Amino acid sequence: MMAIAILLPVAAGFLILAVRNYYARAAVVVLTALILIANSVFFALQGPFTYTPGGFNWGLLITFLDFAILIFYIYIGFSLRNWLVLIFALTQLIPLAYFEFVMKAHIEVTPAFVIDHLALVMTLVISIIGSLICIYAIRYMYDHEHHLHLEKSKQSRFLFWLVLFLGAMNGLVFANNLVWLYFFWEVTTLCCYQLISHDKTEIAIKNAARALWMNATGGTAFICAIIYLYITQGGAAALSMQNIIGGTLQGSLILLPVALLCYTGCTKAAQMPFQTWLLGAMVAPTPVSALLHSSTMVKAGVYLVLRLAPAFAGTYLSTTIAMVGAFTFFATSALAISQTTGKRVLAYSTIANLGLIIACAGINTPLAIAAAILLIIFHAISKGLLFLCAGTIEHQIWSREIEDMEGLAEKAPLTTLITAIGILSMFLPPFGMLLGKWIALEAAYMVPLAAVFFVLASTLTIVFWTKWLGRLLQVLPKLRWPMEKLSSSYAVPLWTLLIGIFVVGVGIGPIYQNFLLAATNNVVSGNQIISLGLNNLVLTSSSILQTEILGVFPVWPLYLILLVALLLPLLLIGLKPTELRQVYMCGEQVGGTDTDEWLAEADKKTKFVLGGYYFQDTLGEKRVYPWANTVAILLLAIMIGCGVIVI
Amino acid sequence: MIKQFIIVIVTLVVAPIIGGLLFGIDRKITARLQGRYGPPIIQPFYDFFKLLGKEHIAVSKLQFVWIYGYLVFMIVSLLFLFMKSDFLLLVFLLGFAGVSLVLGGFSTKSPYAHFGANRELLQILAYEPVLLLVAIGIYAQNGSFLISEIFKQDKPLLFSLWPLFLAVLYVLTIKMRKSPFDIATSHHGHQEIVKGVTTEYSGPYFALFHLAEWYEIVLLLGIIALFWANPLWVGILIALAAFILELLIDNIAARMTASWMVRLSWSVGLILGIANIAYIYYSKGVS
Repeated sequence: MMAIAILLPVAAGFLILAVRNYYARAAVVVLTALILIANSVFFALQGPFTYTPGGFNWGLLITFLDFAILIFYIYIGFSLRNWLVLIFALTQLIPLAYFEFVMKAHIEVTPAFVIDHLALVMTLVISIIGSLICIYAIRYMYDHEHHLHLEKSKQSRFLFWLVLFLGAMNGLVFANNLVWLYFFWEVTTLCCYQLISHDKTEIAIKNAARALWMNATGGTAFICAIIYLYITQGGAAALSMQNIIGGTLQGSLILLPVALLCYTGCTKAAQMPFQTWLLGAMVAPTPVSALLHSSTMVKAGVYLVLRLAPAFAGTYLSTTIAMVGAFTFFATSALAISQTTGKRVLAYSTIANLGLIIACAGINTPLAIAAAILLIIFHAISKGLLFLCAGTIEHQIWSREIEDMEGLAEKAPLTTLITAIGILSMFLPPFGMLLGKWIALEAAYMVPLAAVFFVLASTLTIVFWTKWLGRLLQVLPKLRWPMEKLSSSYAVPLWTLLIGIFVVGVGIGPIYQNFLLAATNNVVSGNQIISLGLNNLVLTSSSILQTEILGVFPVWPLYLILLVALLLPLLLIGLKPTELRQVYMCGEQVGGTDTDEWLAEADKKTKFVLGGYYFQDTLGEKRVYPWANTVAILLLAIMIGCGVIVI
Repeated sequence: MIKQFIIVIVTLVVAPIIGGLLFGIDRKITARLQGRYGPPIIQPFYDFFKLLGKEHIAVSKLQFVWIYGYLVFMIVSLLFLFMKSDFLLLVFLLGFAGVSLVLGGFSTKSPYAHFGANRELLQILAYEPVLLLVAIGIYAQNGSFLISEIFKQDKPLLFSLWPLFLAVLYVLTIKMRKSPFDIATSHHGHQEIVKGVTTEYSGPYFALFHLAEWYEIVLLLGIIALFWANPLWVGILIALAAFILELLIDNIAARMTASWMVRLSWSVGLILGIANIAYIYYSKGVS
């Protein structure tokens, strides 16, 4: 089973590389997706367990691959003449070599993998949403290459990295051994680099290199944390995640490595000032963005911070992490308003929500942790859906600009409907994201400054989503618009995620009670799996502390009200042709209802043009970046400082 | 159960009657201030039923969908108030209502509706953080977002939350679409935006907009009354006084620009709110 979760995607990836036929390749991807989904569900049903692979020196293989990846980074640094990539590859390679060869460290940790409820939640998100995105990519890449008129197809290569990504992510959330976690961490960075640079345009390569070096700074912090832990805590026992969060290590000394690991998490989660790598990643084909934003990569960052939450509970480090996240939530929400490209709005919104999740981890009460887990799940579903919508729209109008999406409801009503629900689900009640935000605000009582940032950010969130959705809906007076046809490779993931929003949203009460509560408890309690032994696992999960999350949030009734308020009118209101009128243009319009022309000066027929507001003078990147990045860097410095001062 | 049923009925039936009467009073007082006689107090109801009987005309089906969203979520927000439920969730639901109105304006290719919708969105940007800060302030004071908890306290919120109360008065002006904030639409026609976000609504659907406004005014005055919830009649008197104050302001103030509104709200409004909350935390000794 472990082999299926981690190694099957690797094997499938190589198979995809070998298969050159479109349909055969599609079959392999779909089959892999189905097996991964089934496997993750099976994992979830079976419950938590620990596992240490035997029979083969896996540690040696991982060390070997670590070096291979880092040497490949150095090669990239040289071939692109990108010194930042080179420097940060070396800052990882040299400590790693020192660790392996000079210190001759023993890195055997038992168990190597701990699959607790949090890991199960993550693997469900990764396997289900990630697989759906892979299915979507089959057709998308075909259209993509068709549009670019490529001579030689690179679809196999693309799908190879995409599928491999899922395996690496599964490994990352299961790993208990920090060195192995580091390995999977680097594999995701590598996959990310390969996918962003896929189109091999100048900008793609440049942005991929930026993603690489920024994440490599995180990798450097990671390897430093490993070495520091190994030296100060004396040996391999300190490299077990369970020991770090379980409080079995010497308390005050672990804060520095924990702060370093949180820094690593922030780089991967593209928190300010690292937001530029994720924005640069938008040049990649859309399935990449969907995967990076919903189920993989950035979620690895928040996963790591969340996982470490008990290790920094009750310290100033915790409060600072809350501030780092909350500030990013605020600043990137403001930046999103100024963006004219749909995918960049989505990117800023992702960074903002990751900030919120990290802030929840920093607030570090059971309620906040529950909010963080809910947000991870709901964000993965909604954002995965929205990126797939953005990709579908792009392949209908061949543009990513919001202004070009004007009146999309006329050209592609079905896509618009799905996108509209996706957008509404990001910021309005009764949808899950809002539920998460609501719980987070309640939990933010502990850190009032974070609460203020939450308030400002959620208001800004309303503005940029509404603004965008408004552009899609602008229509001329017509009775019906022809439905567009979607390829099944597009339609299946879109509909599945759309239904997912409602199923998980409506059923959140029982889902939380039966499953997520245990995950919350895993995080909060620092996970006592090892000390209790395998047989007592059931016991630990039943004696968990009860966190009441829903409170007075009437989930069912609110979804019902949504139905009455919007869906029923949409279905029931019928217009007659005689009822249609032109819009008010001071009596200067031309002819019938199907035209948007009016009589301008000298009675010249002129099409009238509307546009959205973007406030680039006040909220543009040029205005906001200087101060926001300064504040963010200061906060990160304070965060690491909090780790040092305790010593 | 029966009690809740009664609350629902009262909300659905009595609230719009009160709201309509308030608008009637508004028109009467405004007329007197301007030296006119003014229409009868129940004029809004005459207008409402007349609008209902008018011919259906449409420029887009979507705007009708959103006007229903506006009305329904406004009613739900009011239900949350009357059922003494969660204040924070109430604000979010009110946000849904506001967003629906904005999207209704965007759902047509009408320049005036777009002006109005964009400005309505800026209004949300101006008042939403203040209302959310009120929620945080209530939590800081009572340790709960529940409105029922406010009614259990002997000491009125106004004593500890008076800066936020001032900010809410400001929000009331924005929400009532009164000068100096009759920016997105207005009860009087304004040349450059016509009727703003509601330009393209007519007949029965325009009546729905009015109905939603009636619910809205009751909701807003209800929120103001929460600042003196025990005994409630004092709170209601304060709310009515606030209402009259808005009418005076409306008649003596000129209309300002949307960006001025946002700047004022994000400076003065937020500073009042944040200072207020910070003081509560300080006086209660929480970190």
